[in-house]
Amino acid sequence: MKRRVMALLLAGTMVFGLGVSAMAEEAEPIRIGFFCPESAPSAAADGQSSRQSAELAVKMINDAGGINGAQVELVAYDDGLDTKEAANIGEKLTTADDVVAVVSGSYSGPTKVVAPICQDSDMLMVSAYAVHPDVVNAGDLIFSQSFPGSVQGTAAGEFAANTLGAKKVAIVAVDLDFGTEQATYFKAQAYKYGMEIVSEDYIAISDNDMTSVITKIKDEDVDLIYSVNYYEQASEVCRQAALQGLDCAILGTEGADSWQLLETAGEYANGLYITTNMNRDDENANTQAYIDNYRAEYNMEPDMVGASVYDAFQVLFTAIENVGTDTQAMKDYIAGMKDYDTVTGKLLYYNASGSAVKPVQVQQVVDGEYHFAATIDDEAIIDPANFE
Amino acid sequence: MFIQQLINALMIGSLYALTAMGATLIYGILGILDIANAGAYLIGAYLGYYVYTATGNIVLAFLAAIVLVGAGGVVLQRTIYSPILAKPRTLSIIPLVAAVGLFTMCSDAVRLICGPGTKAYNLKFPVDAFHIGNVTILPAWILIFALTAALLLILWFILNKTKLGLAWRASAEDPEISGVCGVNTHVSMALSYILGYGFAAAAGIMTGILYNSITPALGDVPSYKMLAIIVLGGLGNPLGTVVAGLLIGIAEVFLSVYTTLPIPKDAIAFVVLIIMLLIKPSGLFGQKNKV
Repeated sequence: MKRRVMALLLAGTMVFGLGVSAMAEEAEPIRIGFFCPESAPSAAADGQSSRQSAELAVKMINDAGGINGAQVELVAYDDGLDTKEAANIGEKLTTADDVVAVVSGSYSGPTKVVAPICQDSDMLMVSAYAVHPDVVNAGDLIFSQSFPGSVQGTAAGEFAANTLGAKKVAIVAVDLDFGTEQATYFKAQAYKYGMEIVSEDYIAISDNDMTSVITKIKDEDVDLIYSVNYYEQASEVCRQAALQGLDCAILGTEGADSWQLLETAGEYANGLYITTNMNRDDENANTQAYIDNYRAEYNMEPDMVGASVYDAFQVLFTAIENVGTDTQAMKDYIAGMKDYDTVTGKLLYYNASGSAVKPVQVQQVVDGEYHFAATIDDEAIIDPANFE
Repeated sequence: MFIQQLINALMIGSLYALTAMGATLIYGILGILDIANAGAYLIGAYLGYYVYTATGNIVLAFLAAIVLVGAGGVVLQRTIYSPILAKPRTLSIIPLVAAVGLFTMCSDAVRLICGPGTKAYNLKFPVDAFHIGNVTILPAWILIFALTAALLLILWFILNKTKLGLAWRASAEDPEISGVCGVNTHVSMALSYILGYGFAAAAGIMTGILYNSITPALGDVPSYKMLAIIVLGGLGNPLGTVVAGLLIGIAEVFLSVYTTLPIPKDAIAFVVLIIMLLIKPSGLFGQKNKV
């Protein structure tokens, strides 16, 4: 009798133990590392957009039951747009934080620092919107969700020549990797089509005054200003060009893809074209759901930065859902992704360097809103491998 | 184009002069480089924005920001700077470090309280721009010229035609002797902070109107460029600051447009400063014994 009771107790304990162990396995969260420039005054708005989209992505997946039953936990850092801080963050994420992968929601500078740290630590990283090629060149574990400057600059040159029919162009670019990289490839494409680049001005990111530059360009009688600037400077290019009476088109980049430009440039932004990776008029359910959810959650308009971060998380979630959290398995899965629907349109594939190959969107400001203007999907332009 | 660029340069230079005037007045009387003035410029721009957005009255926005930020300046002077300076054998770098800390605190407080995004004044003028031949003049520029001139005129009047101004000049010349002679140096210090921080607040609002955009980073460039301007003008000399501001504005516009300098536009102020210090170490209007 005693033996029977003991056996029953033992069996009960084992069953209970198994149950507890199964529950514990279920409850084990998947930790994903993340960094963005929240406290750098010049990049804090992008940092906010980036952080909010990361949190939205995690909230949406957890609300839907997590990944294969496991909840996702965000381990987020503020890099302050500081490369030294980025190095610290890279070390923490790869040694102390127990994360399965990292998403960069930051600019090229910090992302270029974290990428080799991740690669050397056998940690997979998806960069959301950094444009510098050195990010993916850090190794095979680094993927980029957005197109590099070479693609966007070349696409801009193509659009300027074929759609806008530009002949004389002035370039106003921010004096950072973001500006110089895109301007270089824009010029190459412009020369191919016989355009004349009459002036090039590279402006420090801290300098918002475009008055004298626009006065100079006014005398050059151009038919296009290629403005490779972030939204504050791009807004001043639009305002000064309109106020000083310049009669020419303005073509911007994803740096101007922000509701904040619409706010500060107001009516003077109407007519502005930008190359970017989000088509707000896309009927794709993912795109519209992201826009609606972002508005509902934060009472703000989403932008390219946030959409790219959200996409980076979707790519990672899909990989984990299909192959688990093993780094090599995730790498192989992502490298093999094809025709994947994202918020920023169809991701055709990742090239050998790990850069996403997807169409470049051209949006135009009409009545104070960004709308579809064109799509550039020529693979000779949109595959960054063609520029390596 | 030359005339247009000259107008552009004078407009930018006027704004620089007004921005650096606060730090000049404070240096004149306390002998400290008050970088926190750039924080007053930033907070003034935000206060003005909120008052203008709530009331639609830009005059009220200017007055509220000038008065509140000026009063805030006096509080800082009484609670932070004066106690530091009252300590015997205070190293001159200590108030500078305190000012840097205050400025950083202002920038972060604005980012955390008001959000990191851009805010637009959206001040509408009756006309967008005046076109005279090939020259364009924007109403915002006229406002900047007029307000800078008016505020500098008020400053000149206070400093040269009132007893308060006489006391300020006496305190600036020699605080100990003027104190012995019965001048209330505390009042002179308070006047420096009211005017200094008030001017900075007005400059912040004007910048916000000019670019139709303010962000928590608004004070970053003025925090170092105003130093170049006040040193160039001759540390603590208001007239020198006006001339230095205009000179830097002209140098920046013409050098960036007509030459291809391998340095950013914001660095030009420091190149001009170095050249000036090599020629005349006391600055444009500086007294030798004050350097």
